[in-house]
Amino acid sequence: MKRALLLLCMALAAGAQGAPLLPTSDAEVVETLAAQAGDRAEERALRRRQQASPGDATVAVALARRYLEQAHREGDPRFAGRALAALQHWAQASNAPAEVLLTRATVMQYLHQFDPAAQLLEGLVQRQPALAQAWLTLATIRRVQGRYAESDLACAGLAKAGAALYAQACQAENDGLRGQFDSARARFNQMLTGRLDAGTRNWLLTSVAELEARAARPAQAEQAYRAALSAQSDDYTRLSFADFLMLQSRDAEALVLLNGQPRSDAVLLRLAMAGQRTAAPAARHDVRELRERIAQANQRPGAGASHAREQAMFALWIDSQPVRALELARANVKLQREAIDLLLLAQAAKASGQADAQQEAKLLSQAVGLKDARLENLL
Amino acid sequence: MSLLLCVALLAPAGAWAHKASDAYLQLATTEQGLSLRIDIALRDLDAALDLDADGDGRLTWGEVRAAWPAIDAYVGARLQVQGCELALNGHALEKRADGVYAALSLQSPCQPSGTPMIRYTVMQDVDPTHRGLARITLGASRPELRVLDPMHPATWPSTVVPQPAPTPSAAAAPAPTSAPAPDQAVDTSFLREGVHHIITGYDHVLFLLCLLLPAVMRRTPQGWRPVDELRQAVWPVVGIVTAFTLAHSITLTLAALKLASIPSAIIEPAIAATIVLAAIDNLRPLFSRLPRAAVTFAFGLIHGFGFAGVLAEMELPTSTFAWALLQFNLGLELGQLAIVLATVSLLYLLRRRAAYPRWVIGGGSMAAITVGSLWFIERTADVSVLGF
Repeated sequence: MKRALLLLCMALAAGAQGAPLLPTSDAEVVETLAAQAGDRAEERALRRRQQASPGDATVAVALARRYLEQAHREGDPRFAGRALAALQHWAQASNAPAEVLLTRATVMQYLHQFDPAAQLLEGLVQRQPALAQAWLTLATIRRVQGRYAESDLACAGLAKAGAALYAQACQAENDGLRGQFDSARARFNQMLTGRLDAGTRNWLLTSVAELEARAARPAQAEQAYRAALSAQSDDYTRLSFADFLMLQSRDAEALVLLNGQPRSDAVLLRLAMAGQRTAAPAARHDVRELRERIAQANQRPGAGASHAREQAMFALWIDSQPVRALELARANVKLQREAIDLLLLAQAAKASGQADAQQEAKLLSQAVGLKDARLENLL
Repeated sequence: MSLLLCVALLAPAGAWAHKASDAYLQLATTEQGLSLRIDIALRDLDAALDLDADGDGRLTWGEVRAAWPAIDAYVGARLQVQGCELALNGHALEKRADGVYAALSLQSPCQPSGTPMIRYTVMQDVDPTHRGLARITLGASRPELRVLDPMHPATWPSTVVPQPAPTPSAAAAPAPTSAPAPDQAVDTSFLREGVHHIITGYDHVLFLLCLLLPAVMRRTPQGWRPVDELRQAVWPVVGIVTAFTLAHSITLTLAALKLASIPSAIIEPAIAATIVLAAIDNLRPLFSRLPRAAVTFAFGLIHGFGFAGVLAEMELPTSTFAWALLQFNLGLELGQLAIVLATVSLLYLLRRRAAYPRWVIGGGSMAAITVGSLWFIERTADVSVLGF
């Protein structure tokens, strides 16, 4: 009883300002800055060299790539901002060194600035058609935007640049999205018979898995997902596989797949969704944490657009607010139109019960040219 | 084929665990002058100032304290308010969803005649995607949100303008970039949230159950005896439920109005403790000198803060705040009423069974003590034992 009263008094004394942190000793760690401590000295040295000679493209690109990899690894977009800062010397220069432009475009892609990134790459490949990585990145961006014809052109450029395997995979991916399941599958399988490094094998197998999922062949999809993860375990494949499992109401398996993974927004969202459906112990905490992150991110006006996919899923599956989810799913497809984005739009439209929204989702998929059995079953 | 391309960086990045870099500014004017608080992420300051002196990737309080003068100088050179000389008032650390922030309080005796311009270049050379999000409150007027882009800072004729305040025309100059605060419509979803929260808030339900178990009995020197008629059970139940409702409404309102708050790290285990204490009280009177309703009231105050935690996460819009709060609370009460009606009816029917005192009160309370204790451990040690 006394304890309860004490707690209450503490409550009334505490101010209204969020959550102040009051360290008790100088040795207390108040923030963890980097996953890998050893790199700090190296990073600082590189940063000083870059500051001393900002026009040195080799140093600037090395620093920017380092930051971009850190952004991917830690899921922290502020490192993408730092990568841009390293390349700031050429911000206005269209004749910047090719490596600078390529790196800048890759960073912009990470930040979901798809159009400016694609324009940068288009200028670049005109200047240097042999730059295979630029073609591959361009093809990926156009595919994400649902602009398959432009993606095809970039795949063709990739072939001319001499990257035969990547060009084949690039085109097979686009064909598969258009519903040419059998021919695309055959080409992927042909490629997979060759000697491949683990990363490429994972990439191809994940493409196969997603193709089979769209082709309504869940057993084959699952097999490909498992093969992809055993070739090389990566975040993207895990998330895609988790979505696949959850679509089949195999939430407990999705949880097992994602438990222990770094808690990016995308991972946390799936943990919260599957956790809530299976009444898992941590679900309440996960939902709360994600809600806090969303609220904080939305304080920047307009920032919601780059998080719209996750926020639409949150509204639809966790808050059961289909109308809000539909609004967010619409904002999302203005930016990105992967199969998951169009499916999400259709799911939100269906849940909202609005016939015209379902029609809109159907028309958009047709306009993009996507063939997805899951979507057709839904609408 | 020897050409090896990078496919790892092609994956579309939904894999963010953080949002982009933002600093938070709160500018307010009163009759005493202008106050400005700025919160900047320690991760950001480290990139500009190398706060992590030993470079081990772990930022200690000692390193931050040693760096305060450098932080002050850095911010002082990159943050100006038109017509105002800012003086530092104090430092603090603030924990937010995406990390820890350094908070600087600044103030000035100046009296801007309109919304002052803010020249903001923090992080300009470190991260061009950084923004300052400024919430500006002039006197009693509605707060205005302004986004400050360090790559395009505001300028005015003389950066340091001496007192008195600048000319009206300069002060009325348009903001560099401004965006209205997002406006969200409130429907009846907060009512549903309230019902949902009490029904799925197992800890609140368990606490209520503990209180209700003996409600169809009375304590006699010979032990628990069933009540004869429903009337005798109803009044204690009404008393208990009213006390719980009043108490949690008070703290819920206080917390929602930001007049009081307790970190959930304290409140969540405290709620678990109320369950254990209420259940022990069923077995062996702990609060025999107090009416049960008074104890319920005290514990209800704690539960109110628990409800407020949920409400706080929903980001209530200020304009419809009172309406949303009322709805949420009504939802809680409706859900609670349903639970009470169902439970008391069932218990009333069972009350004459010989096993009631031993199994329903005794067994139920023992179970509640067990679950409550495990919750308490979970919530203080941050481990997961139970499935809910």
